[in-house]
Amino acid sequence: MRERTDIFANVDWITIILYFALVLFGWFNIYAAVYDASANQSIFDLNLNSGKQLIWIGASVITIIIIFFADFRLIDSLAYIAFGVVLLLLIAVLFFGREVAGSTSWFEIGSFRFQPSEFAKFVTALALAKYLGDPQAKLDRIPDLLGVCAILFLPVALILLQGDAGTAMVFSIFILVLFREGLSPIPLILGVLGAIVFLLAIYLTQIVELSPTWIYTTIIIIGIIATIINRKKRSKLITSILITLAICGVVRSVDFVFEDVLKPHQQTRILVLFNPDLDPQGAGYNVNQSKIAIGSGGFDGKGFLEGTQTKYDYVPEQSTDFIFCTIGEEHGYIGSFIVIVLFSALILRVIQLAERQKMRFSRVYGYCVAMILFFHFSINLSMTIGLFPVIGIPLPFFSYGGSSLIAFTVLLFTMVKLDSHRMQVLSH
Amino acid sequence: MNIKRSIVLRVRIAFIIMFVFALAIIYKIIEIKYIEGEKWVEMAESIGFRDKEVNAVRGNIYSDDGSLLATSLPFYRVAFDATVCDDEVFKSGIDSLSMMLAAHFGDRNKASYERLIKQARAKGDRYIVLGKRYINYREKKELESWPIFRKGQMKGGVIFEKENRRYKPFRQLAARTVGFTNSEKKGVVGLEFSFNNNLAGQNGRAVFQKVGNGNLKQIYDGNEVKAIDGFDIQTTIDINLQDVAESSLRKHLRKHDANYGCVVVMEVATGEIKAIANLSKNAEGEYRERYNYAVASSVEPGSTFKIASAIALMEETGLELSDTIYTGKGEFKFYDRTMRDHKPGGYGTVTLKEAIEKSSNIAVSRWVDQSFNTKPQRFMEYVRSFGLSEPLNFQMVGEGKPYFKDPNASDWYGTTLPWMSIGYELRMSPLHMLTFYNAIANEGKMVAPIIVKSIRKADDVIEHYDTRVIRDQIAGKSTLLKIRKALEGVVERGTAMNIKGTDYNIAGKTGTAQKVKDGRYTKNYYTSFAGYFPAKNPKYSCIVVIDSPKGYFQYGSDVAAPVFKEIADKIFSLDLNLHQPLPSKFAVEKGIFPVVQSGKYDDLNLILNKLGISNHLSEPAEWVKASIDGTSIKWNEKSQSEGLMPDLRGMTGRDALFLLENKGVRVELAGKGRVAKQSQLPGSKLIRGSYVTLTLE
Repeated sequence: MRERTDIFANVDWITIILYFALVLFGWFNIYAAVYDASANQSIFDLNLNSGKQLIWIGASVITIIIIFFADFRLIDSLAYIAFGVVLLLLIAVLFFGREVAGSTSWFEIGSFRFQPSEFAKFVTALALAKYLGDPQAKLDRIPDLLGVCAILFLPVALILLQGDAGTAMVFSIFILVLFREGLSPIPLILGVLGAIVFLLAIYLTQIVELSPTWIYTTIIIIGIIATIINRKKRSKLITSILITLAICGVVRSVDFVFEDVLKPHQQTRILVLFNPDLDPQGAGYNVNQSKIAIGSGGFDGKGFLEGTQTKYDYVPEQSTDFIFCTIGEEHGYIGSFIVIVLFSALILRVIQLAERQKMRFSRVYGYCVAMILFFHFSINLSMTIGLFPVIGIPLPFFSYGGSSLIAFTVLLFTMVKLDSHRMQVLSH
Repeated sequence: MNIKRSIVLRVRIAFIIMFVFALAIIYKIIEIKYIEGEKWVEMAESIGFRDKEVNAVRGNIYSDDGSLLATSLPFYRVAFDATVCDDEVFKSGIDSLSMMLAAHFGDRNKASYERLIKQARAKGDRYIVLGKRYINYREKKELESWPIFRKGQMKGGVIFEKENRRYKPFRQLAARTVGFTNSEKKGVVGLEFSFNNNLAGQNGRAVFQKVGNGNLKQIYDGNEVKAIDGFDIQTTIDINLQDVAESSLRKHLRKHDANYGCVVVMEVATGEIKAIANLSKNAEGEYRERYNYAVASSVEPGSTFKIASAIALMEETGLELSDTIYTGKGEFKFYDRTMRDHKPGGYGTVTLKEAIEKSSNIAVSRWVDQSFNTKPQRFMEYVRSFGLSEPLNFQMVGEGKPYFKDPNASDWYGTTLPWMSIGYELRMSPLHMLTFYNAIANEGKMVAPIIVKSIRKADDVIEHYDTRVIRDQIAGKSTLLKIRKALEGVVERGTAMNIKGTDYNIAGKTGTAQKVKDGRYTKNYYTSFAGYFPAKNPKYSCIVVIDSPKGYFQYGSDVAAPVFKEIADKIFSLDLNLHQPLPSKFAVEKGIFPVVQSGKYDDLNLILNKLGISNHLSEPAEWVKASIDGTSIKWNEKSQSEGLMPDLRGMTGRDALFLLENKGVRVELAGKGRVAKQSQLPGSKLIRGSYVTLTLE
């Protein structure tokens, strides 16, 4: 009896309420996305995605209960083991997995499908938290930095091998966690700048079709001006020259990366970002249809189950990656705004939880959770509204799919569990 | 201190980055909704709005008892957009898909299907048709579960194009008479053609919106023109008689390897066509409904026409059945042309009755020549008064018009009248000849044949076709009575003796016409038998025509008459009204009660009432058990508690089965009769899915 009260005593109900609000709202929208007015289907119909999702929601609730009843110390002690197991699964899926839509990231046992990369995010967060949880670890020490790199790049490399670039990109958000934990801002700045220069270069060469000579000339002129301005101080002078050269290098690499590294469908996905009318029936189709759905929803939407764009298979992946369209169409701007508010509230709350942790392990883990949610949320929305190339990652708690829902549930509730024990200090 | 500041700073930077991102998203949503909003709304609406014709549903064609002869059902053409599905789905599914297509349609083999689809995919073909024929709804459901197809239209590329097509539940049965529609859904032959205006209805117009999957959704904006569905037509065709007529005709056509044949069965009193079969041999040597010979052909009928001549003679000259004429040795010369009788050596002196029974050409033609030679116009007046020379104005378009020579015309020779008297040098349709025989059976009242009884919309009759009288009295009653005697004689001892000996008696006349080819009569015959039955109180008239039978038997008596008998026999056995009531030797004796002692009240009550056994119900109940109450039966409710095994003893196996299966219990039956023992006792707990063995005795 005492134990039971203890379990829920320090639980953060705000997070839990936000979680269930998102899951239920998502469930209704999955139903709306597959609803066929003429067929008179029930939301509980197990032939529909909504019925199946309900089973997954049930499974998630069981998962939550298991997490609450488990000893919280297990989380810390099993971190590396879990990481290792998932790494093995990621290797195994390359050999035994089933290819779905170009990526070999699914195990298929009978009718049951399971995607280990969904859990890679969780265990990487655990491993990173465990590694940085050691009071000795410092992010300005090269050996520790190498260790962190190993934890991050192992799963990324394996996921890239599966051909699932979208999920691999999620791991880039860990850089924000590392920054919070004391990593020098330089990699962050360089990363953001590199990405901007890269996209700009694509824009200029592929869309504006500016001659590379012009681009290089402009960069070098700016570089020379910067060098002249900074000529008095040696370190700045060198930096200016290096940056100019680096930018030239990035621009030079654009051609190679774009033409040889990216697959054709990825190329067009980037190109339609700048110009959605480029290929309205092909790569631009998803985004255009999605925009039509959101745009035609207006301020308060067409009403629950009344949408037309998100039914009848206009929008592909309408119950998974493009579930946000349904909200935009049926619940309009209000609905979209509520979703954004709910997610922002959840992410902020998780950051708050992270910041109040006494152990570095819990704090790092909390940040990881917040950042992963943030990345999924922002990139998923961005791709449905045409701000970001379509990379096929789900909207947490909303999108249809068991692996995704359970993985996010485990991710979040591990944090809630850790938070409920924040007063007890782990003994190492 | 410094560390703390640094951390706060870092947290803020992280927040700012997130904040900027969130702002960007919110801005973009606002942009889509408000700045570009109209554009997207317009685009959403412009997608696939189209003005389209709404097809009216074509009316049904019913038989006399309301069975469907022709109806419109949705069928689907299977097409395929080879560019849609992704490589993985395509590669894993193409092999089994081709195999299934080959097995289902059978028009190509597996390799050929695989090649077709792969080529289309390589060429980027967005529309290829798979399978030659249309598939029905049930097949469509099956195809939807096949590899690649199961992904649907957007991801698999399968396209099911719906089309309402004509469907004949009885397939070949009366196919030609019911008719066909063309690809524009217009009737081209048969009733479909003749009643096209009634059946077709009126197409409407409406605006449709395209909704994924290639489906169209109608927009009810108030401007739509509603389609008016076609009317149904109810025919007089009796499915059972039609089936009998057709199978019998087919059997005999095969037997004689004939060119074609037709049968029409008519109800004497009303002229309603109960069956109309037309079969002709196609290139494969099979007999199919291809041309409506019964209605549309106009041919020299041969000896069946002698009855018309005989009536004219009796009416004009008062000739009696017993009057005689000398026919010689089977040959008689009219001018330069020799008339021959069938029997070598001739019939010698015959009475009129014998002339009809034996079908003597010389007797009939000499009498007619003697009486009408100087006044052929008079003979033609009789033909007219028999209603034979003018079209029937039948309900179906394209009837074969009768043709008679004009005595004043230059092609009227001295030999015309004698040959006309035995059914040559004139033409008429089999249906017309039947109408004439029907009038004889109907005591002289000639009614027009009808095949469509009413035009209706659901249960509302739009137009009703009554029996139309062509001639009130084609000849004197006494003449007709005599003629009917002679027609009975044809079967009793004449040319159609081979079909005598039925309970009900057939009356009729054989016909064997030599066919003309290149102006000469050939050894090819057109055989027929026209008549009615039962001879005493005719209910049906019928004509059988078989053209060009091969082999030894080529006369109407051998070829057409047996078909008539076969059809008449079956109709007689099917039609209870034709039977004499049986003597009531099974009168109810006291104390003897029917075998079934338990069952459904409605059924048992009906049976006992038919048998004239008094029975009554003690209190309202669905399932009852009998108890004897003096000379009557009392029905007591058979107790049936919910969830308990009912008492099945005394019930028929069928009733018990029905009762138990409704309760979810499985039944094993053993023996015959009614239930004597049941393995689960009455009143025991009823377990769904359990087995009960019923022993019947």
